Amino acid sequence: MRGITKRFPGVLANDRVDFDLRKGEVHALLGENGAGKSTLMNVLYGLYRHDEGEISLNGRPASFGSAKDAIDRGIGMVHQHFMLIPVMTVAENIVLEVEPTRAGVLLDYDAAVERVRDISTRFGLAVDPTAKVENISVGQQQRVEILKALYRDAEILILDEPTAVLTPQEAGELFEIIRSLQAGGTSIIFISHKLNEVLEIADRITVLRRGKKIDTVPREGATEEGLARMMVGREVLLRVEKKPTEPGDTLLEVRSLNVHDDRGLPAVRDVSFTVRAGEIVGLAGVEGNGQSELIEAITGLRPLESGEVVVGGEAVHHATARRMLDHGVGHIPEDRQRRGLVLEFTIAENIALHDYSSPPDSRWGWLFPRRLIQRAARLIREFDVRGGGPTTSGGALSGGNQQKVVVAREIARDPKVLVAAQPTRGLDVGAIEYLHRRLVEERDEGRAILLISLELDEILSLSDRILVMYEGQIVGEHKPGATEEEIGLEMLGGRRKEASAA
Amino acid sequence: MSEPLAPQKGPQPDEDAQGPPSTVASRLARWQDAGGVVVPVITALVAFLIGGLLVLATGHNPFQAYWDIVNGAGLNWLAHPTNTDVANTAAYNFSQTLLQTSSLILTGLAVAFAFRCGMFNIGGNGQYLVGLFVANWIGVSFVNMSRPAHVLIGVVAAMLAGAVWAGIAGFLKATVGAHEVITTIMLNWIAYWIGNYLFQQGGPLQGPENKPLDIPISGNVVDGAKLPVFWGDPALQGLHIGFFVSIGALVVFWLILNRTTLGYEVRAVGYNPDAAAYGGIRVRTNYVRAMAISGAFAGLAGGLDMLGYLYKIGTSDVQVQAIGFLGIAVALLGRNTALGVGLAAFLFGGLLYGTTHGLQSGTIDPSLAGHLTEMIQGLVVLFVGADVLILAVWNARRKLRRRTPTETSPVAPEAAA
Amino acid sequence: MSTYVGSFTRSRLYDSTTVGTVGIVLGVVAFVLAIPPFTSRSPLWPILLGMVAVLFGIVCLSRGGGRVGGGAIAAGIAGGGLALLAMQSSVDNLNQVFTASLIASMLVFATPLTYAALGGMFSERSGVVNIGLEGMMLMGAFWGIWGADKTGSWFWGVLIGMASGGLLALVHAFFAIHLRADQIVGGTAVNFLALGITGYFFVQLYHGQNVPTGVSQIPDVKLASESSHSFFADSIGHLNLMIWIGILFVPLSYVVLFKTPIGLRIRACGEHPRAADTVGINVYLVRYGAVVLSGVLAAMGGAYLTVGYLNTYNENVTAGRGFIALAAMIFGNWRPFGAFGAALLFGFSTALAYRLPVYSSSAATLFQALPYVLTLIAVAGVIGRTVPPAADGKPYKKQ
Repeated sequence: MRGITKRFPGVLANDRVDFDLRKGEVHALLGENGAGKSTLMNVLYGLYRHDEGEISLNGRPASFGSAKDAIDRGIGMVHQHFMLIPVMTVAENIVLEVEPTRAGVLLDYDAAVERVRDISTRFGLAVDPTAKVENISVGQQQRVEILKALYRDAEILILDEPTAVLTPQEAGELFEIIRSLQAGGTSIIFISHKLNEVLEIADRITVLRRGKKIDTVPREGATEEGLARMMVGREVLLRVEKKPTEPGDTLLEVRSLNVHDDRGLPAVRDVSFTVRAGEIVGLAGVEGNGQSELIEAITGLRPLESGEVVVGGEAVHHATARRMLDHGVGHIPEDRQRRGLVLEFTIAENIALHDYSSPPDSRWGWLFPRRLIQRAARLIREFDVRGGGPTTSGGALSGGNQQKVVVAREIARDPKVLVAAQPTRGLDVGAIEYLHRRLVEERDEGRAILLISLELDEILSLSDRILVMYEGQIVGEHKPGATEEEIGLEMLGGRRKEASAA
Repeated sequence: MSEPLAPQKGPQPDEDAQGPPSTVASRLARWQDAGGVVVPVITALVAFLIGGLLVLATGHNPFQAYWDIVNGAGLNWLAHPTNTDVANTAAYNFSQTLLQTSSLILTGLAVAFAFRCGMFNIGGNGQYLVGLFVANWIGVSFVNMSRPAHVLIGVVAAMLAGAVWAGIAGFLKATVGAHEVITTIMLNWIAYWIGNYLFQQGGPLQGPENKPLDIPISGNVVDGAKLPVFWGDPALQGLHIGFFVSIGALVVFWLILNRTTLGYEVRAVGYNPDAAAYGGIRVRTNYVRAMAISGAFAGLAGGLDMLGYLYKIGTSDVQVQAIGFLGIAVALLGRNTALGVGLAAFLFGGLLYGTTHGLQSGTIDPSLAGHLTEMIQGLVVLFVGADVLILAVWNARRKLRRRTPTETSPVAPEAAA
Repeated sequence: MSTYVGSFTRSRLYDSTTVGTVGIVLGVVAFVLAIPPFTSRSPLWPILLGMVAVLFGIVCLSRGGGRVGGGAIAAGIAGGGLALLAMQSSVDNLNQVFTASLIASMLVFATPLTYAALGGMFSERSGVVNIGLEGMMLMGAFWGIWGADKTGSWFWGVLIGMASGGLLALVHAFFAIHLRADQIVGGTAVNFLALGITGYFFVQLYHGQNVPTGVSQIPDVKLASESSHSFFADSIGHLNLMIWIGILFVPLSYVVLFKTPIGLRIRACGEHPRAADTVGINVYLVRYGAVVLSGVLAAMGGAYLTVGYLNTYNENVTAGRGFIALAAMIFGNWRPFGAFGAALLFGFSTALAYRLPVYSSSAATLFQALPYVLTLIAVAGVIGRTVPPAADGKPYKKQ
């Protein structure tokens, strides 16, 4: 790929990027969120049309108008969000569009099952062809995705952030698979923003930053520090400046909590812990191990099956979101666009989201828009929200400023407990630093902060105490000095121990 | 109780994973940002243009036909607005247009209010019908009640009936998640058959005087329950004070949405139910309440029409009734705002009366013109629903105005990931 | 606006076996009511209970309940039927209502619903909600009879009707797929449009009444001689060709949808269009095809109504049948046999409604509302969940 440029309305996603892949190598594409990695690969896979540049494959020029063209030329892609149909079987998913037929028109399902079984043994990717995709694990689903590409005789396999949804153990298995595919002659492009993974698996590493290619380096001689510098363009602040803490009273206590997920299956199992005033407790874990359900239970968005949530010494029964807010629980939600903000609302209306129904915002059900605006104007100054005034709609702000609006709203209510779920997801470095500093400040103000993050770095640098969650249970508790390895081992369930109420 | 959360199962289609959920209300807000008042006007013009082409293709003069409709709607009266005597045809026609407008404002608001809460109320017609039924029943019974009380009870009962009828759909959505489009369609047809049952030969609300004659029509609303007529002759469908009630309803609609906490909740739920639940708003309650308020608007339309000028209703009236469906077009063209609904209702009110009754020159058969209204209605709804088309039109317009490159969209860096 | 039924976590209470079992019980109760000590003399209750039992059976079957569902259907039919037999001796009217021709009329009323419901199923399985079925059906009804009148051949009439329905569906498809309009708004618009177009041309071409009598009619399939009046002859001996074709379309649709690559691709587009796109399926093309097919099928139902059954046309002749078809499709859980079963049930209730004035005209009128009430109950999830395709109603944006 040479000089690839891709523009989206108002943004230059790829700026004259060169990229080459040798036969049988694993080539990692490294960069922060939004650096243009996925865009570049979607161009290669025919999902996007590039505006400039050229692609050649095995020496011949190639231009893919659709994914079908790319597939025909031997390119397969495993997307970050799996492209699988949950209600269909593994075999149906794999043969879709290249179905074996009988009598010309009928789908030969038995042959499909047979062929899938065939390639799955050939490549050592064990999976049951007749199982429905919705009933198999995430790791197995990923195998199905890889089989989908192999079934179509892919010689080049693009893996887009393949480890994001895996436990470290599953990731290990994936690396085994990659190595065996590589040995079989398949070339692999491995997209990631995790330095350690890239150093473990890749032969060569290309770093993208803000749509531009920074450099391509061989693995030999590459270091985490060097790659990190290339990724972000300067030294990364891995540690946040903070004083040692003096925890005060217990403000949040969770006792033997059990919570179900949307399907009615246990998601949080017998979880107990406390958070005290003036401390940040970090909750580490791989995505989907019950963190979301736990947060929703604490903030009243999800009913408890059993157990108790105690806020400021008072147990809250039959909690609703409203009651939890009134008890002084603030919540920075995981997804600010889906939950944290009403994008169509103005900043003023968004800031009133918890308090619109009580004075001074309203009285007897009558709303006072001017008061909303006055308060918003004050908070916009205080929290340095840029890009609009009180009557700008939430959707018109950048991600970082949207998050500042959310944080402003939550902190302005002076909560006893602040639940911060992935507060920096998808933000740029500047916004991340701001938010980290702010969280530490609020800790020093004497709030109890529960921080949930999928980024272990973030947990390690901010927390005064670290809890590890695995399969709905708290499996470990650590002091800030703990190493990434210790915690990582527990995140994948390597060492179980019963949670002890601190 | 928790609020309903997005169901999660297995691998998620990534449309869900990217960005916020797209509700009807949030899409509409996008249209709002995109088009302002220009798009509805273009929409209506294009619909009239296509209608005109059809008229031309079938051998009639479209200009003459539209001019006829304009006059039929009594718009020519506006040239001489001092002559309010309804013996004057133009004045009479105009009063009739306003009569239709006042019903359409209310059925339009019925659709619009639900829209603002993220729901599509296709059941305006059924809610309007139950309003008619209840108002007729009360208007015919209780002969000795004093006039203000009788009128008030009749109108309020019709509102309540509409609210209950729509509330069923809201309740089913809130409790078991049944989609309001399906339930309101079903409720329309149930109301339709109930109407056929009530007023048929031997039906419980058939007028006693009609029984021996085998006429499937209700009894007449007693004089003491009729709304005062302020323009024209009550015997000739004069314009009744319900017109002012409709105008008042527009103001109430605006006030509820923009100046009350109830409206704040409705809008929050409509734009983004997840965020609303997170904000402490009870989403389910809002679904029921918003549907009930929607139904109350439609029921009010039924009550005012019955006590204002219809006075009686037969099974055949039940069968052809479409005022509630027209409310969909009114709400969409009016973009679910108070002012927009008012204007769109006037447009369709004129069309409705102008095509069916007021035609004079004979250029086009009245029944032909009546179907022209239906077609224009369909085209308007079709075009208004096409946000991409609208955005394209709007962007083209903006490009023409200033040829500077578009400013950097702040959310784009994330979207491009 | 996408899914008809949202998350409903209590579904375990209402799993298909329970539903089927309740159905069987209801079927038995239907019979018990007719015998001492109850000795109900009104046929309404056994029929109603029997029908509800059948309905539970359909729900149970289309959600994978297997044998229990079949049992419920059998119990409903047998219970209701036996109850009627038990009354036979004393109620003469029964002879007027329950004749073999009731089966024929059930099929007559079920046929337009079957076509349209199968059509709707294809559209929604590909991910496009089609509440415009009513309009497409109406187009087929009007242009079908116009075609039969002008060409003098019912065959061309039906083809022209089908083309008109397909054309209207194409409009819906264009707005739903390319313009990504809200599909419910689009479907509503299409219904208005069809009402306007057919009404306009009915006035323009026939002055609103004068469809000539004796327009070429779709022939009946004579399995029995004219003079024969056996049960067989009266029930299925003289059915219209289109009825048989409609019945044939049910297994055919099943095979296409579940046993061919095309069907797999249609379903993929309705469940997860991006996944379909990434393996090279042209999502837009599949959806266009499915929506147009739905229009063609709905129009066939309409054309049957005018060219095959009524042999005339009057304004808005479909009178809400498209919506009942929609209901039948939802009821049948977006499956061909389920939809057909529901169409038969609704057809039966209509056929019965036409005969009930013998007993009570009020009951007859209210009976007409039954399909809508039953559908309301079904979408409320009281008797098992309906599960629409995951991406039903969601516009797909190519990247």
